[in-house]
Amino acid sequence: MALKQISSNKCFGGLQKVFEHDSVELNCKMKFAVYLPPKAETGKCPVLYWLSGLTCTEQNFISKSGYHQAASEHGLVVIAPDTSPRGCNIKGEDESWDFGTGAGFYVDATEDPWKTNYRMYSYITEELPQLINANFPVDPQRTSIFGHSMGGHGALICALKNPGKYKSVSAFAPICNPVLCPWGKKAFSGYLGTDQSKWKAYDATHLVKSYPGSQLDILIDQGKDDQFLLDGQLLPDNFIAACTEKKIPVVFRLQEGYDHSYYFIATFITDHIRHHAKYLNA
Amino acid sequence: MEEESGEELGLDRSTPKDFHFYHMDLYDSEDRLQLFPEENTRMRKEVVQAEMANESTGVGDGNAQRDLREEVEELVHLHGLEDDHELGDEFVDENMPRMGVSEYPPYGLKRRDPAREQRDWRLSGEAAEAEDLGFGGWGSAGQCQDLREVYRYTHGRASEEYECYVIPEEEDEEEAADVFCVTCKTPIRAFQKVFDEHKEHEVIPLNEALESAKDEIHKNMYKLEKQIIDMENFANHLEEVFITVEENFGKQEQNFESHYNEILETLAQKYEEKIQALGEKKKEKLEALYGQLVSCGENLDTCKELMETIEEMCHEEKVDFIKDAVAMADRLGRFLKTKTDVEISAQPDFEDQNLDFSDVEQLMDSINTIPAPSAPVINPQAPNSATGSSVRVCWSLYSDDTVESYQLSYRPVQDSSPGKDQAAPSPPIIKTKEIRSCEEAVLICWESGNLNPVDSYTVELTQAESPEASGVTESVVGIPTCETLVQLQPGQSYIIYVRALNMGGPSVRSEPATVHTIGSYFRLNKDTCHPWLTISQDGLMIVRSERSTPTREPPPRDTHFTRCVAVMGNLIPVRGHHYWEVEVNEHFDYTVGVAFEDVPKKEDLGANCLSWCMRHTFASLRHKYEFLHNGTTPDIRITVPPKKIGILLDYENSKLSFFNVDLSQHLYTFSCQLHKFVHPCFSLEKPGCLKIHNGISMPKHVTFY
Repeated sequence: MALKQISSNKCFGGLQKVFEHDSVELNCKMKFAVYLPPKAETGKCPVLYWLSGLTCTEQNFISKSGYHQAASEHGLVVIAPDTSPRGCNIKGEDESWDFGTGAGFYVDATEDPWKTNYRMYSYITEELPQLINANFPVDPQRTSIFGHSMGGHGALICALKNPGKYKSVSAFAPICNPVLCPWGKKAFSGYLGTDQSKWKAYDATHLVKSYPGSQLDILIDQGKDDQFLLDGQLLPDNFIAACTEKKIPVVFRLQEGYDHSYYFIATFITDHIRHHAKYLNA
Repeated sequence: MEEESGEELGLDRSTPKDFHFYHMDLYDSEDRLQLFPEENTRMRKEVVQAEMANESTGVGDGNAQRDLREEVEELVHLHGLEDDHELGDEFVDENMPRMGVSEYPPYGLKRRDPAREQRDWRLSGEAAEAEDLGFGGWGSAGQCQDLREVYRYTHGRASEEYECYVIPEEEDEEEAADVFCVTCKTPIRAFQKVFDEHKEHEVIPLNEALESAKDEIHKNMYKLEKQIIDMENFANHLEEVFITVEENFGKQEQNFESHYNEILETLAQKYEEKIQALGEKKKEKLEALYGQLVSCGENLDTCKELMETIEEMCHEEKVDFIKDAVAMADRLGRFLKTKTDVEISAQPDFEDQNLDFSDVEQLMDSINTIPAPSAPVINPQAPNSATGSSVRVCWSLYSDDTVESYQLSYRPVQDSSPGKDQAAPSPPIIKTKEIRSCEEAVLICWESGNLNPVDSYTVELTQAESPEASGVTESVVGIPTCETLVQLQPGQSYIIYVRALNMGGPSVRSEPATVHTIGSYFRLNKDTCHPWLTISQDGLMIVRSERSTPTREPPPRDTHFTRCVAVMGNLIPVRGHHYWEVEVNEHFDYTVGVAFEDVPKKEDLGANCLSWCMRHTFASLRHKYEFLHNGTTPDIRITVPPKKIGILLDYENSKLSFFNVDLSQHLYTFSCQLHKFVHPCFSLEKPGCLKIHNGISMPKHVTFY
């Protein structure tokens, strides 16, 4: 699988690169961003996957979050893929900003016309890691995942559906309970059809209730002034209640005055990277 | 500067001048505008005018226009005034221009992005500006409200969700009524396009024009903001330079003054000397001359006398005359034989004076040489500054001296004569239960063991691993009181003895005490303990029993906690890292943390700014966790109640962190200003118990914090 380098910039002693490749799962060209810390020159590093939210591409995280210093200091390779397949010419894919392009919701679609291309879950959990492991100096046994909003939802479900695959998981303002919120209902009905039992397989709150695996240590930051929190799109309380019930360790921080933006992410990104480094560099 | 421009802004808005469309191309270049503050505000004025001009020019007063103008004014208000004050406040408060510089450029840059991206999005083939309004996330109906919302969100909150936003159309279906003629640069009604004037002209929807004009204004405002910051920084820098110039001038002035004073003094001295010498010479000469004058006078007198006698003689009888004449002739002969000195003894001229200024020249030349420094003053020996084989010498120097290096030399002095027949003292007794230590030091205290006062104490330590025979004993001598802080190596075990010393010599060693420099050791301070708490024998367990309060309340002392059922530990007063663990039960209500020694004992822990703590409350089967300082807590939820809490106190980074030890989970970190030493504190809000674990080295997961 050939990787075409699109850009490369030196940052905090490491390199922020963007590559493009032909994706098998998504049947289109896909871009992703990868940060190689200085330590990657001399040895294999752990990998941290970042999943972005609605309307984002691989650019938002690398230009706005200010994560490079922490990643460089802790010696972590950070991968930021795109949020959906692009340019597939599916009718209606560009109609809304919260469904279709830029809104893959990290599921494997089962409905037409989406099922051919919209397979972000498999892309993130299978194809992309294989690609990264084969082409970059990474240790495949030490992987963690985190994300924002729809990406937070993605990170949580990937971790909960694959016990032991990720050493740690964290999220910024994640969509915790998509089957109960407008965004989730719209996306799941479009990608997965009307059978709600199929939806639960991609819902973090539901997955936690039957999570059998090893201990996860989950860190969640949520802005208190987040418009989408107030609109009932995120529903963290449901997730916390489920975790308390199942004794899954979560530290949930409601941050006074912060909203849903990358300014919020930039404020706490260092805490999250340190959280992951604790487990990846153990 | 902020106030200035704000006022000007206000002024302009109340007295709008002629509307003219301000050509924005000037600001398209990326070059920094090299402007002074006055010009900055002038431009802001013009930008404001342009804003106003944007919509009105001589078109019918439709409602749409008025709304638009309100919105634009809102926008200006939001961006213009708010921005200024934001910046101004931050600068006044922070007083750290460097931090300001690094904060804002990215801020400025970030805000350009939404504008650019938004325009890109709009140009990317999205024809349906009229339709695409259905943003579930927004949900608000009122259109003026919408616009304000939109801009409030972009203003400093560029999230990815909002990058694709579109300004909701003011009047969807009537949009066709308002268009913008690019050629004339005026807004016109759509029907006007048909008329001669605008027939050939290029026309775009008004909103688009509005958009692009607003974008331009945004861009320029960002540039202006940046400019303001840069100029402020420059002004601050200049101030600093000002001050430095003054200081340097002061130093030079002083230097010159002292040198010149020296020179002047030397000159004055020389003058005095010379004058005095001249005066002496004058006296000499005058005296010599005077002497001569006197002898001249005498001579003259004698001559005159002889003359008179001769004249008298001439009038005498012949016989007498002959007699006297012979005598006179002898006398005259004799007199005239004596020489008269008619040489002037002293010359009136004085010699030319040679003024020797060589030493003054030397002084002048030496104005720039560094004088030799003054002798340093050795401080008297401090207690605890010597061991059996080394001594610590401190000295002070004058701040005006320039010193390159010091030379220290020493020689042993004669042993003072041995003391009289005084008995050596008894050995002290170390208070082992009160030993406090950390990885780098130990604080030991002891009882004197003697009724009479002793001169000093000596502490001796050996590392426990090495056998007694070859163990190196380090001793600390000259300790005046019954306690001392000794620096140690981390991760070792030491055995400590104390001796007392007086004129009769040293006592034998005390009983030993062992210290391990792993983690931190402390014991609970019974003097602070609330009467309802019991401390175990080993000083590590705190119990609040179910029984109601004892009927006999001991008189409250200042050091005891009275309101809060708490107790404090005695942590070694050493800055560095301290880590300890507390075993808790998830059904107990407890509070653990740190507090200054003088924390008010009549208040709850965490209710004031002298304490930081984590509080757990268990009520209605729910666990509540608070991280209290000054009565406030962040909103944090923890799903798995910790059974053992790790507490890390980091003086260097001013942080206090809490962990769930069993899960290696980080719970929370305070940033705290620790200007004095703090001690661990514990309280039980309901009956329960807490067990403290000491002497634990920091687990790896804790080191990340």
